[in-house]
Amino acid sequence: MSPTPRSLISRPGPTALWRAVLAAGVLCAIGLLPWLARTDPALTVLKARSADRDPTPEALAAVRDRLGLDAGPLRLLGRWLGDLAHGDAGHSWISGSAVLPSVVQALGVSLLLMAVALTAALGTAALVCARTLWRGAAGRPTGSRTGGVAATLASLPEFLTASVLATVVGVQLGWLPALGWYGPQWLVLPALALGVPAGALLGRLLGDALPGAFAEPWALAASARGLPGRRIARQALRRSFPGLLPNLGLFVVGLTGGSVAVEQIFDIPGLGRLTLQAAIAQDLPVLQAGTLALLLLAAVAGGAARGTARLLLGPVLRDGALASPHRPGPPARSPLPFAYGAVLLGVVVAGLPRDPLALDTAARLRPPSWAHPFGTDALGRDLLARVGHGALTTLALALAVSAAALLTGVVLGLVPRVSGAAVDTVNAVPPVLAGLLVAGVAGSGPYTPALAVAAVAWAPLAAHAGALLTQERATAHLAATRALGAGPLYLLRHELLPAVLPPVTRHALLRLPGVALALASLGFLGLGAQPPSPEWGLLLAENLPYAERAPWAVLAPAAVLALLGALAVSAAGGVRLPGRRPRRGRPARRRSRQQPRHPSRHPSRQPSRQPEPAAPAHGTAAPGSAR
Amino acid sequence: MRSVRPRRWAACLLLTPLLTGTLSGCFAPADSSDPKADSTGGKRLRIALAFPPSESFSPYGADATLLSRLGVTEGLTKLDGNGAPAPALAESWTQEDARTWQFTLRDARFQDGTPLTGAAAATALTRAAQASPAPAALSGVSLTAEASGERRVRVTTATPDPALPLRLAGPSLAVLSPKAYGKQGAADPVGHATGPFTLTKVDGSTSAALDRFDDYWGGRAQAPGIDARFIADGTARANALRTGEEDVAEALPFAQAASLAKGTGREVPTARTTSLYLNTASGPFADPELRAAARAAIDTSVLAENVYEGYADPGQGIFGPALTWAAGKRQQPTGRASAAQPHGATVRLATYDNRPELPEVAQVLQQQLEKAGFKVTLTVRESSRVEGDALAGKFDAFIGARNTMLDTGDPVSVLASDYTCDGTYNMARLCDKNVDKAVAAADALADQDKRRDAAMAAEARILGTDAVVPLVHQRNILGVSTTVSGVLLDPYERTVVATGTRR
Repeated sequence: MSPTPRSLISRPGPTALWRAVLAAGVLCAIGLLPWLARTDPALTVLKARSADRDPTPEALAAVRDRLGLDAGPLRLLGRWLGDLAHGDAGHSWISGSAVLPSVVQALGVSLLLMAVALTAALGTAALVCARTLWRGAAGRPTGSRTGGVAATLASLPEFLTASVLATVVGVQLGWLPALGWYGPQWLVLPALALGVPAGALLGRLLGDALPGAFAEPWALAASARGLPGRRIARQALRRSFPGLLPNLGLFVVGLTGGSVAVEQIFDIPGLGRLTLQAAIAQDLPVLQAGTLALLLLAAVAGGAARGTARLLLGPVLRDGALASPHRPGPPARSPLPFAYGAVLLGVVVAGLPRDPLALDTAARLRPPSWAHPFGTDALGRDLLARVGHGALTTLALALAVSAAALLTGVVLGLVPRVSGAAVDTVNAVPPVLAGLLVAGVAGSGPYTPALAVAAVAWAPLAAHAGALLTQERATAHLAATRALGAGPLYLLRHELLPAVLPPVTRHALLRLPGVALALASLGFLGLGAQPPSPEWGLLLAENLPYAERAPWAVLAPAAVLALLGALAVSAAGGVRLPGRRPRRGRPARRRSRQQPRHPSRHPSRQPSRQPEPAAPAHGTAAPGSAR
Repeated sequence: MRSVRPRRWAACLLLTPLLTGTLSGCFAPADSSDPKADSTGGKRLRIALAFPPSESFSPYGADATLLSRLGVTEGLTKLDGNGAPAPALAESWTQEDARTWQFTLRDARFQDGTPLTGAAAATALTRAAQASPAPAALSGVSLTAEASGERRVRVTTATPDPALPLRLAGPSLAVLSPKAYGKQGAADPVGHATGPFTLTKVDGSTSAALDRFDDYWGGRAQAPGIDARFIADGTARANALRTGEEDVAEALPFAQAASLAKGTGREVPTARTTSLYLNTASGPFADPELRAAARAAIDTSVLAENVYEGYADPGQGIFGPALTWAAGKRQQPTGRASAAQPHGATVRLATYDNRPELPEVAQVLQQQLEKAGFKVTLTVRESSRVEGDALAGKFDAFIGARNTMLDTGDPVSVLASDYTCDGTYNMARLCDKNVDKAVAAADALADQDKRRDAAMAAEARILGTDAVVPLVHQRNILGVSTTVSGVLLDPYERTVVATGTRR
């Protein structure tokens, strides 16, 4: 009946080729890194071997000679690739030991940590959307109201959760070992530190999609037929999960290669630390092997995510027979965004008249008082002033980067076949390496850190947008619209984008605090904000060593960041222009034929008047409904 | 359909023990040793070290210090508390002529059982001299060694080197058994050194296990062994000490000192001086009067008391109070310019963040300099990404923490490398005839006392140029559990454990 929409089932050949080209590109870029960054690898290697060693010309020449650096990047890269074909990933430039065993060992550690962290994340996600599920199962679906807590959790930087867990649970309470990697009980704290923020983000995304699933016709029909709520909830989960899977796949890779802070704090010999050290020291063989491992993992995880999505959605994708997952209606207007906004604004306004740079070392680490409502930092500076003054630069830059990432993400999400491999590749590149590469290409100008963060921040958004689009393209109403003669541009403007933009925008906003932190985390490469700037990420980093003695010094920036997350998410509930309620206020004539989900958009349930049969309790989400 | 699921779950449950069995391979091996007392009553020491071995315990780089700190390797000489060369593997030595020294070895054995002979010592020194890059203690020195008897070794340098016995105390010139040296220039210290402890197992950059060496010439160590862990994060090291997982934790951050239990934080004065280097070749500080203005503007006691929380002494000179001999010899800086008004001169100040206190120091200095009328912009990067630029003169001022004893323990060598025209680490880009002359004069002296006098005279000359402003002399915090006794507090950062260390 309808033309077969593009399905997830893409031809494997070209995709694999494209993926290989991207991976080769990344490896080549790493091979060229020192020459791009114009930083002598002999110097960084020498310094990594011995921090106190003077970089005398003789010592540098000896290192250069030993490593054969004079052969030039291309020859080095060629040699490395040639050896790789024989299963030899070379020798570390720093230690001289074989790379492969150390990378494999670190990868094993990181994979185990990731697996447990992912379990913690799924647990957190379950807790976050438990209420939505409960209410949906009970037949009272709500708008997505999981905002505040989840967004707050999601905006917690993992280095903060890690050091708080290590200090409080590990040291002060002594319940679990605070550091090391010797057995299962050593896994708990790091996995929680990594898993809780990730799980909050996933839970928030899931909570975003669930109400739409509950409002679909099959759910109504199933409920009307008297099926138990539990089963409906299970199917709703199954219906919402595929949109999330690509992001889950990204987390798998991100947690494996990017949990540097947690590995540092808990002293875990994982891949994140290995690649970070290699990136700083420009130890190219280790960096190449580590990144290659992550790229392979990304390909596997991405493939698994796509495969699972296909398994869960089944033939509906092929047949273009999906009911459209849309939220039941605008979320109840809540005063929360205004409250969050007012508090944030109040803090900024109260901080602005104060001096954020005035040092008074005699008044260091003072607890909050009338004179210093947020206390003082390690150099006796007023924290309220610093938080207030840092707001503008932090927010402006983070918003700009998020907007750019959103735009790129959605545009690339439209062409999943091109962007799928790119997303996996970009996500697998360790963040510091991305920073170094971007800095190498773009120079260390004032906008380099923003570029570097934007260069990776689009990936999860593109993955999300791509997954939603694939589903949206497989919906029955789209097929009908197309049958009525709508062109691709019309479809894009009036059907696809309006369906995809709101959830992806909310996702982008959810990641806003993370972007702010990422911007500050490149500072040690000489990119981005430098002390004494009161940029929020920098505030957190510089006060972290004092977290135990002066918790307020960390609490203030962490709290405003969490507030920002909560504000962004709660306000995004209404990413609708005033006076225009998308979909609901559409001219009925265009919709009249494919309006099966009309009743579903009402929060209260009504007896189904739809032509379709109810969804079977198991099997595809909305099988064959268009026929 | 329904009956399938429970069975699937059951299968998963059956798989669990299998999986956990495989997973256990993913963890780092736990300390295999029995923590309980052994027959002699001692317990193994558990030490958290800050720097992992970066070159798989190659004795020629930074790992040499690690080996020396763990009591694995020894050189012909060592430094005594006063910084003078003292007998170690060499019982005594004599200078035969300006370039030749004769060392008489003591009756000792390597950990692999072979006896220490003149030939073995000569091999060790020759291999060190041939290492590439050359050990820092030998930079600029060309050395040959030959056995001159069963227990004698003769060392000859290309040019006269009065500081040779000091040099040979450097950890990278440790003497290893001939069996330690492979074909490709690498040396393997595992089981081939002479110290009271011998490496038995190295687990990458995570941990190392050591056993007591029973035939140690200085007597058997009281602790039966050492379990060393390399924990890069300072807070994590402090946590390890606080939870009782470790007995000794080195280089604790100042920020963590306050949270340690009473009596566990030991202060070790070090030869490390944090200084402000002013670029004398270009920029505003090419003007000696502005350098004087900067020096006058800086209050170092604030840094010592507040940033270093009292774990440092205000800057007195290039050589600090940890070098006990320096105190009585200090001379007043001469030839200082008088301070001029900066009139808003812009200063680019740089430092690195590998030591977390340095960015704080930089921010305090920024404020002090701005109060005096300078305008200051700050750059903070990772050290290998800022040092090169600083040496190339891309900044007007640089803050660095410098070990003033380097690897040689000789005060003149740091002056030569840091403040002379040909210096390899001349952050201030100083090229001053008088300074060069004073350093050269000191370098020519063989007598230790006179050499030190001359070094202090050269220091006064250097301070007179205001090219460097010594900020603080840092103390390290060594975390030592109250149950442990006999830990060495070494200002030269070369030793931690010895035969008398026990818990």
